[in-house]
Amino acid sequence: MTTTEHPPTRVHKERTWVGQSIRRLEDPKFLLGKGGYIDDMRVRGMLHAALVRSPHAHARITSIDTSAAKALPGVFAVVTGAEAAEITNPMPDFGPAADKHVWRCLAVDKVRYVGEGVVAVLAESRYVAEDAADLVRVEYDLLEAVVDPEKAARDGAPLVHDALGSNVAYERTFQFGDVDGDFAAADVVVKDRLRWRRSGGQPLETVGAIASFDRGTGMMTINTNTLSFTSYLFMLAGTLQIPDNKLDVIPHPAGGSFGSKLFATKVSAIAGMLSKVSGRPVKYVEDRIDNLANCDHHGSDRVYDVELALTRAGIMTSLRIKTVDDYGAYIQFGVGHHGNALAQVTGPYRIKSVEYGVTAVLTNKCQQGAYRGFGSEVNNWMLERMVDMAAKELDLDPVEIRRRNFIGKDEFPYFIPTGNVYDSGDYEAVLDKALELADLDHWRAEQAKARAEGRYIGIGLVTCQERSVFSATEFWFWFDEPAAPVTSMPESVTLRVGALGDITATLYSCAFWGNSPETMVAQLVAEEFGCEPHAVSVVYAGTRNGLPATGPGGSRTTVMLAGAVEGAAERIKDKAIKVAEHLLEASPDDLEWADGGVQVKGSPEQRKSLGDIAIQTHLFKHSLPEEIESGLEASKVYDHPYTTMPSADRKNLGVFYPFVGHACHIPIVEVDAQTGEVRFLKYIAVHDCGTLVNPRSLAGHITGGTVQGIGTALHEEYVYGAEDGNLLTQSYMDYLIPTAMEAPEFVIGHCETPSPWTPHGIKGGGEGGRMMAPAAIAAAIDDALAPLGVRATELPATPARIVGWIEAAGGA
Amino acid sequence: MKPAPFTYHRASSASEAVAMLASAGEEASVLAGGQSLVPLMNFRVAQPAHLVDINYVDELDYIRLDDGWLAIGARTRQAAVERSEEVARAAPLITEALGQVAHPPVRHRGTVVGSVVHADPAAELPAVVLALDGEIVLRGPDGERRVAAGEFFTGALMTARRPGELVTEVRVPAAGGDGDGHAIVEFSRRHADFAVAGAAVSGGAIALFGVADTPVRASDAERLLAEGGASADVAAAATDGLQPNEDVHGGAAYRRRVARACVERALARARGGAS
Amino acid sequence: MRIATTVNGVRYERDVEPRTLLVDFLREDLDLVGTHIGCEHGVCGTCTVLMNGETIRSCITFAVQADGQEITTVESLANGAMHPLQEAFWEKQGLQCGYCTPGMLLRASEILAENPDPTREEVKAGLASNLCRCTGYAFIVDAVLDAAERMRTEARA
Repeated sequence: MTTTEHPPTRVHKERTWVGQSIRRLEDPKFLLGKGGYIDDMRVRGMLHAALVRSPHAHARITSIDTSAAKALPGVFAVVTGAEAAEITNPMPDFGPAADKHVWRCLAVDKVRYVGEGVVAVLAESRYVAEDAADLVRVEYDLLEAVVDPEKAARDGAPLVHDALGSNVAYERTFQFGDVDGDFAAADVVVKDRLRWRRSGGQPLETVGAIASFDRGTGMMTINTNTLSFTSYLFMLAGTLQIPDNKLDVIPHPAGGSFGSKLFATKVSAIAGMLSKVSGRPVKYVEDRIDNLANCDHHGSDRVYDVELALTRAGIMTSLRIKTVDDYGAYIQFGVGHHGNALAQVTGPYRIKSVEYGVTAVLTNKCQQGAYRGFGSEVNNWMLERMVDMAAKELDLDPVEIRRRNFIGKDEFPYFIPTGNVYDSGDYEAVLDKALELADLDHWRAEQAKARAEGRYIGIGLVTCQERSVFSATEFWFWFDEPAAPVTSMPESVTLRVGALGDITATLYSCAFWGNSPETMVAQLVAEEFGCEPHAVSVVYAGTRNGLPATGPGGSRTTVMLAGAVEGAAERIKDKAIKVAEHLLEASPDDLEWADGGVQVKGSPEQRKSLGDIAIQTHLFKHSLPEEIESGLEASKVYDHPYTTMPSADRKNLGVFYPFVGHACHIPIVEVDAQTGEVRFLKYIAVHDCGTLVNPRSLAGHITGGTVQGIGTALHEEYVYGAEDGNLLTQSYMDYLIPTAMEAPEFVIGHCETPSPWTPHGIKGGGEGGRMMAPAAIAAAIDDALAPLGVRATELPATPARIVGWIEAAGGA
Repeated sequence: MKPAPFTYHRASSASEAVAMLASAGEEASVLAGGQSLVPLMNFRVAQPAHLVDINYVDELDYIRLDDGWLAIGARTRQAAVERSEEVARAAPLITEALGQVAHPPVRHRGTVVGSVVHADPAAELPAVVLALDGEIVLRGPDGERRVAAGEFFTGALMTARRPGELVTEVRVPAAGGDGDGHAIVEFSRRHADFAVAGAAVSGGAIALFGVADTPVRASDAERLLAEGGASADVAAAATDGLQPNEDVHGGAAYRRRVARACVERALARARGGAS
Repeated sequence: MRIATTVNGVRYERDVEPRTLLVDFLREDLDLVGTHIGCEHGVCGTCTVLMNGETIRSCITFAVQADGQEITTVESLANGAMHPLQEAFWEKQGLQCGYCTPGMLLRASEILAENPDPTREEVKAGLASNLCRCTGYAFIVDAVLDAAERMRTEARA
């Protein structure tokens, strides 16, 4: 459903269950070691897959000898990329020219990054499959690797995809507002070049699938930890060359995702293909190297040339952003990551105009996918770096410059230059709360003491947005004539009331990744029906019987589930009232829903509980009017509640991410100037994600997301060799995930500025910690090393990089 | 990441282990703690055709004082050595170093001897044994020999051990209790990671790790220290000529800088701790 | 090779290939799927079990090394009722995806066995051996401290 104006403004009711930090429904099974993850599942007759991966960044495959591998006892199949290409179609791909940057489940004529799958082996065990993989002989003709994105964009660079004719997969500059005019009128322009290097979700559980192709029914059943975007699964069916109505995907809890399991279809495709080949169920679970090197979900990898225009009084007026984004060898989601940026490109500030130039470059690396923030966290970092640069240039306190530019709490809904809207906010309140919790006077005193001793303590402060609930337009507003201007982004829930009044909620494709969909739904259902949340049974359906659903991403889950629960609950209550009319012999106008049942207005003793009503509907058909069907069950397909179309000239992208939260992060660090080590002394974080369903759950996402942001800011990087494109971080010995010792002591604060447009005023907030931390930590490093004149312009700010900055600034 | 197949031999005595190694030849590895070896086997970077398991060789599990030396047997777990009061008295640098070797779960299985034999350039224990002028005891088909620590480490992950030899013991001179200052300071990317660079000092000895293919005694710097040189100068002397390897964690100049800071800090701690 | 090992108090005799990793033996041969695989190179601690009462990494231990030994996995913690650590993790939300949780619980049980009244810093240092990607560790530390209090109270009773 397209809407041209915002949803009705809601009056939020008093709440009983929404807002409670109840214990999660999800937890007992995980605590008992009965999580039901994909690798825990076993199917009779199941075989195991492993991949032969490319050791080269760029090479032509000249020959593959699988004879020794096939001869190994226990091996059932060895499939090369060329053989796979005969029985599968290319992978599901939303990229700009999917027919030219063709992406297949296994490399066919050439390999395009270290780790790309070349041959799939199927055997009686993973051990034997790897033995056989070792026996496969692949001959390569090495090609020059293209590793640096700016070099890759130049004419004459080696081509990642010959058919594309260039390594530039997409390039366009958007202008929102009068950028030239605003820059011409500016008193001050600050300019910088910034570099954000790729990291990734790296959940402790990799992607896995068990595919079973039934030759009798033609049904392909895939059990996996990566179900999402059910409406687009026809693309996976297409890859597997089966009809869309012969694909059933069954979700399993995932041991973390952070975006990296969002529509991650390659593992399912490989397992499905091998199941078709062998006629047996096939389990393929990535090992850690598969996941580091070949996961299709690396994070953003950007160079920015950016200018910020301001008045002398420190009022920001315009932004010119030019970014080159290194997408790796394929570009499955197009430049959607930049849509995430454009949703909140001007941050919480009243910046009037923006120029945004994006060049998406292909190189010999694993492709980008989704990583918590999905490209908006990079924009936050870039923008706050420029705000701090401006503050320094104008000799303004970093807090003061932000206050001067904040969108005021009475200015909402606020449309930013790109056309997106911020539904509500109170940025001063969040900042004030953070400052109150941070006790900066104390830390400034500590900083002064430390400086006197030759030590470097720093305080970082950033104020950033966290958008939630994306629209489908973000996929295609990049093109004036998109091939598929899709507009659906639904989520569905079915509520069933059993004969005894117990409630079951069915989720479709709303994956469990470590978020809390069951708990959220249980609290929302309890709010609707007055039952105990832990008495609600929440189950997940596979796609065969599934309603349209999308799953987690862009912090959409809680809002969308809330809408679906509300809609289904309304239908249940409507029917319940109809039944109650009959049971109470009252007219509908005299009845109201209250306290978990239906009662006569003004006569609460004349009531029927949900259980009373339910049993009637299940068992006593003849007591009810003809038109009332047996049972008490209703579904709601909840579509995105506020999406508007982009203008034809794309000077206005419409509303595509309307529910926008905000946060202030204040890390306190000490930097060791000799080693470049950054240690946390404290970390203050205040988030405003609207009404919270489960405050403790959100706090967990804040701490977890922030520590991932710390990883991004300081420790984590997928490093590719500059010359040969070799992946130098192929294990957890070199890809460094923060341990408990790298995590700070947190002080968490909450503000709640409800959305006017969502059930209960909920906004999404799952991504938030990671969206702020990198920006905040860069600011803290700058502040610590201010006496040495250091500015953190690159990320991760590894110890070696920090020392490099110190030495470049003339420090010892 | 599953290991390649191997033939498994379980020894119940040291001499049986030696015999098994001799018959298995070059393609054999010793399985003690496995904390370094098995990851390499899971990566299939190491594919020994034979594994000689010494985890059931009780006679090699000992910590003892032996004629002025502290001797640690090949099956002695790092955690046991860390807890040992004897070690704390006789070689407190070892006790201190173990607190920085990986994590407790790894130290429950890993052995001190195993870490020394594995000879990772960034590991703490090889440098400690070098700083303490320790000896490595090897037993082969032709009998036993001892190699001074200074001659044992020949390259990255390479030692003077010959095929067929079992390292049965690492020994260091037992401290005289005269309160020589000692300290080990390393910098690692995360808590408990392998060092980017580090320094172990004991008495007048300075050994560096993470700065070359093997641990390094900074003899010039030791001379300067003995002559009463200032810490900053000693640290510079210890690190200026180094050519550390470069990797994702840092380049050569960076490692030299870090090593210098570690030497200075270790000297300061050692001085502070000396009685 | 035939091995005999006691897992969660139950004795098993099985034939295993020498190269079978202990984590795979537990998961596939004994159907104890509570122990998880995270990295298979001994860094993340997801595969943590107890051998003879001490935490080890089962992904870098061969099943043959468990011959004659006692193994304890997460499945042994609850005894009808949840272990105080499990209750505390639930109460304090010391988990989100649950994948690191079995390893964390066993490591936490060891930390508390060695020190029933640890400081926050001691808990953090102890847990550094086990990676978590979801929680940022804050609530895990809260849970361990909460469990410590529960267990001290139980011990006094």
